Amino acid sequence: MTGRTMQAHPAGEHEAAAAIQHGQSGMPTALLGMLLFIASEVMFFGGLFATYFNARATTPGTWGPPEGAHELDFALAGALTAILVASSFTMQFGVWAVRRGDSGKLKMWTGITLILGVLFLMGQLYDYSQLGFGIADGVFGTTFYTLTGFHGAHVFGGAVGLTIILARAVRGQFSARNHVAVEAVGMYWHFVDVVWIAVFSTIYLLR
Amino acid sequence: MQRTVARSRRRSVLRAGAPLLLIGLLGGCLLPPEPVTEVGEDVFNLYVIVLILAGIVFVGVEGFILYAIVRYRRKPGDETLPEQIHGNTAVEVIWTLIPTVIVLILFGFSMATLGDVEARSENPGVTVQVDGFQWNWTFRYEDGPVVQAQGGEPPVLTVPVGEPVRLVLNSLDVNHSFYVPQFLIKRDLIDLGENGRDNELEFTITEAGTYAGQCAEFCGERHADMVFVVEAMDRAAYDEYIAALASGETPPATGGGDCATTIEIKANNTQFDIDSFDVPADTDFCITFENQENMPHNVAIYEGDEAIFTGEFLNEAGEITYNVPALPAGEYRFNCDAHSQAMVGDVTVTQ
Amino acid sequence: MATTTLEPRAGTYRRSWVLDWLTTVDHKKIGILYIANSFLFFFAAGILALVIRTELAVPGMQFLDQATYNQAFTMHGTIMLFLFIIPALSGFGNYIVPLQLGAPDMAFPRINALSFWLLPLGGILIFSGYLFGGAAAEGWTGYSPLTSDQYSPGVGTDLWIIGLTLVGMASILGAVNFIATIFKMRAPGMTLFRMPIFVWTVLVTAVLILLATPVLAAGLIALFIDRNYGGSFFDPSVGGNPVLWQHIFWFFGHPEVYIVILPAMGVVSEILPVFSRKPLFGYRAFVFATIAIGLLSFSVWAHHMFTTGSVFLPFFSFMTALIAIPTGIKMFNWLATLWRGKLMLTTPMLFALGFLSMFLIGGISGVMLASPPVDFHVQDTYFVVAHLHYVFFGGSVFGVFAATYYWFPKMFGRKLNEPLGKIHFWIHFIGFNLAFFPMHQLGLDGMPRRISDYSPDAGWNLLNLVSTVGAFMIAVSIVPLLINVIATFINGEPAGDDPWEGNTLEWATTSPPPPHNFDRLPPIHSERPLFFLTHGHGHAAARPADLEENDEDDVERRGGAV
Repeated sequence: MTGRTMQAHPAGEHEAAAAIQHGQSGMPTALLGMLLFIASEVMFFGGLFATYFNARATTPGTWGPPEGAHELDFALAGALTAILVASSFTMQFGVWAVRRGDSGKLKMWTGITLILGVLFLMGQLYDYSQLGFGIADGVFGTTFYTLTGFHGAHVFGGAVGLTIILARAVRGQFSARNHVAVEAVGMYWHFVDVVWIAVFSTIYLLR
Repeated sequence: MQRTVARSRRRSVLRAGAPLLLIGLLGGCLLPPEPVTEVGEDVFNLYVIVLILAGIVFVGVEGFILYAIVRYRRKPGDETLPEQIHGNTAVEVIWTLIPTVIVLILFGFSMATLGDVEARSENPGVTVQVDGFQWNWTFRYEDGPVVQAQGGEPPVLTVPVGEPVRLVLNSLDVNHSFYVPQFLIKRDLIDLGENGRDNELEFTITEAGTYAGQCAEFCGERHADMVFVVEAMDRAAYDEYIAALASGETPPATGGGDCATTIEIKANNTQFDIDSFDVPADTDFCITFENQENMPHNVAIYEGDEAIFTGEFLNEAGEITYNVPALPAGEYRFNCDAHSQAMVGDVTVTQ
Repeated sequence: MATTTLEPRAGTYRRSWVLDWLTTVDHKKIGILYIANSFLFFFAAGILALVIRTELAVPGMQFLDQATYNQAFTMHGTIMLFLFIIPALSGFGNYIVPLQLGAPDMAFPRINALSFWLLPLGGILIFSGYLFGGAAAEGWTGYSPLTSDQYSPGVGTDLWIIGLTLVGMASILGAVNFIATIFKMRAPGMTLFRMPIFVWTVLVTAVLILLATPVLAAGLIALFIDRNYGGSFFDPSVGGNPVLWQHIFWFFGHPEVYIVILPAMGVVSEILPVFSRKPLFGYRAFVFATIAIGLLSFSVWAHHMFTTGSVFLPFFSFMTALIAIPTGIKMFNWLATLWRGKLMLTTPMLFALGFLSMFLIGGISGVMLASPPVDFHVQDTYFVVAHLHYVFFGGSVFGVFAATYYWFPKMFGRKLNEPLGKIHFWIHFIGFNLAFFPMHQLGLDGMPRRISDYSPDAGWNLLNLVSTVGAFMIAVSIVPLLINVIATFINGEPAGDDPWEGNTLEWATTSPPPPHNFDRLPPIHSERPLFFLTHGHGHAAARPADLEENDEDDVERRGGAV
């Protein structure tokens, strides 16, 4: 074999497995996968936002909850926003912790993030119970519940992810060099937060 | 050797070209019908321009493909490689610019024609509201007369020839589309609720005649049956027609009059609440018809395929009293003209 | 050509092959599963097509009632698009892309398996409507308000929605997988601009899927909420907007059609150079044209809605016309590939050339439809049916058949029989044109689409009959294909690693490849790594960058002479 041929990529089974795991240099493959998935989710919410804006633009009169229902609870929504934004910070602290190899802080910050996430969900459900209108009560009701409901579902999905990485952290499966799942869940959690900011701005601020 | 090569080349062209020739013959002339509206003429002319350009592109490209198959076919046994040409920037630029120019020209012609097609006159000869519903049409003229389908025949939209006809397209349920192929135009009927504006379509028919039309937006089970007819006649004849329509309009007036016998029929969920009724022979009777839903229903009485009595449609929930003239003894059928399969029953007229 | 056979290694235990195929995460097996599943749905939807054409052959309702007819064309369209064409091309992508990249598998093998298995599940759900009071019957486009629970009661439409949502999720996961694989797992030396064109088209397609399909999901979910939870998205009587459905659907629907065509264009771009024995003309232009088509495809959706009166016509007409330009660039590059080549008219080449001719016609009718005044006449008529079949069938399905004949040897180690392949092609080509070309005239004459019957006095009788004959010819043409596949499995001629003298890396390994795909990879310095392995550098037109390697050992490994 000439030297040149040796340069040809030896691609037997062992190397093959490594190639799948690590890919080329740059962002780890699993993280790229999460990023791409998030892109598709952005488009999904884009579709839902489109229905909201279209409904808002084509409905005459004031745009808001139907007759007889309460006004939207701005204060509660504001509090939920604060909770979720805070949880993004705590999530990121957890990511930074594991990058340093600090498993203890990882567990703590992940746990706090999870608690904040659950608080958000509970707050959202409480809000629903107080509103006085439902998904079947006109266009505003339909778009409101669909948009906030699917966002809530995504928060729930994120909470599941957080639970899994918390469990794995407790089992000591993460290290500074090996923690892609934490980064991926972190990225997803930030995405969920950003979507909430968009939802909040659209429904509560823009009205 | 030369002759066999040439012959096999000819055979290849024939084999390749024959199916394409077949396509051409099958295509017919690839032209729309001779238009009978002014906008139709504009569309026809635009189409011809587009078709010619399409033809040039097709002949050029397809011609080259066939030529290449024949001319560049590898000779058996030839293992040498042809020149390995990777590309040519100049050529790429040329065949980017030329299609761009063609496309822009086409777009320009399109927009010009679109302006003509969408133009609205100040003073249309007649304005008609076209109600489309599953699976028929009702035409409501601006001065009042209403035309509906009678006895299983398509409803006829009568209009004056040579004057702009404006249609206001109103759907009572799902999406429909008003389409007369010989007009070379169509427009959808979409219910946009209270806030929405109905589509309008305007055209001037150039030739008196009878033109077949059909719904062109899939609207459910009997979409294929949703046909209508446009009848264009000169202004004098049209005025006569409208006058006759206004005075001799069936059905009879609502309410009033003594009803010796009254039959009550209700309609809801695309069903009548009774599937038969009896009335005495040779006696006028009344039907109190209550439509309980916002879908068009009526009651019509048939002997075989012939409509003996056609009640006025209620397009929304409401009530109406039909005065039905006396019927001889026998067996008849009653149904809703818009839902004649789901809403049907028996009438027994006894001595 | 050396023939390589793989023996199971000593010490491996034999699993049940059923379990193996059910649980595999190997992209090659998954690719074959995709393709096999797709062809099953192709036959099912094809039978529906025959049912439709039989009913339409002559005026009068012969053997169907209207409701059954409406279910038939709805299922036909839905199944053909979502469960045949896209998965078939996905299947070829799944099998071939890692090989062409010199990679051992896809980036996410288990998600790959999930993506596949969601398909038969989704398809069965969609079809199961027939068992529960009637399948969906509102057309594959499912327009509101017809699809509301008021006008389409019954669970068939709900099953259609759920099934499609699952299929959409499968697509999206697949797209994530393809993009990650293409960006992260290329063999050393394979820069983006040395990737095979097929990989480029799969990449752009995957981006379209990633960004467009979720919008369909949003629409389907909204429709489900309207139908089942009293929602008001699309119901005008409670403030909803039926045109909103059309916007959401077509925002997905238009990129969808490019999702259908781009990989087939990629297949054609692989086949034409190999069987012209010269490189694809204008590789870079091709890549940029593909990207341009992908971008533009998001800006044209409302050209499906010109007759609604709710659309800003000049913008959408202009953007639609623009898309003709990169498409034209591709066509000219293909022609230039043929120019001065040495064409070998094998079956894959015939289907590729057939693609060029048929897609040309479909593309031309598409440009005609881009003009609103013309569209006002032919929208919702058989002219559109002709157009869509020329691009979907004459385009993508020809591409699927071309890929089948081209890559079958790689997948199964045996070449399909050439004479049978040619018989398939010619019957198919003639039948296809007989079936669909008359539809242009029918549409111009005003025959609307989606009608179960037509008036005997409309003048449409002869062309409908001709079209039905063509449809049956297409069905007949499948027979030589089936015989071919079965006979080749039983007793086909062994193919060897590289039966076609291909250019790309899938031909640099055994047929079929080992589980990890490659034992060794050749050096990669161009988009045709294998070409230089075979033919060396004695060519005046070879670019300097390609002339670096001394590949004696690799040539020897491939069994060729140095």
